[in-house]
Amino acid sequence: MAARILPVVKLATKVTIAGGALYIAYDSGLLGSSEQGSEALNRAKAAIPPAVEEWMKYFGLETPLPTMPKVEFSPVQAWNSGVRRSISSLSEAPTKATQYTNQGLQYLKDLTK
Amino acid sequence: MSEKELGKKWDRCLADGAIKFGTGLGLGIVFSVLFFKRHTWPISLCSGAGLGMAFSNCQNDLRSSYLLHRSQKEQ
Repeated sequence: MAARILPVVKLATKVTIAGGALYIAYDSGLLGSSEQGSEALNRAKAAIPPAVEEWMKYFGLETPLPTMPKVEFSPVQAWNSGVRRSISSLSEAPTKATQYTNQGLQYLKDLTK
Repeated sequence: MSEKELGKKWDRCLADGAIKFGTGLGLGIVFSVLFFKRHTWPISLCSGAGLGMAFSNCQNDLRSSYLLHRSQKEQ
């Protein structure tokens, strides 16, 4: 009799797990509008350090784990500064090119004097 | 819509896209492992659906300043 119920139980477990995952995703606003998503992201970011601390205490590792070095790196700033620099170098390129060619020609002229 | 507001909308769009893609990826992996014998197509289907949801949200958000909203209708 157990052999007949087992497939049903397996299926029920799988459906429960999948349904639970779907419900969690829906409930935490991950599938809603953009504001809900960013709010969920902020909540997750705020909840990580205490959770990590608890896990470390649970495992008995009291060593000051290398806390995420507060890297002052903002991808937005990096991208913006990269764009600015490339565009300004592009706009200065013709002037610089003429300067360098003039300098090169001057140098060659001096050589042949 | 001011320049700053537009920038914020684009930021929200990109963040939302990343979140929904990740969620779709996770759910796709769950479904693929549980029901579909570890095939790849549920993973790509769900992450694509997540990207599509993010695109639709973004479209609605960027269009919202040109539409007439229910709260603005007189009478």
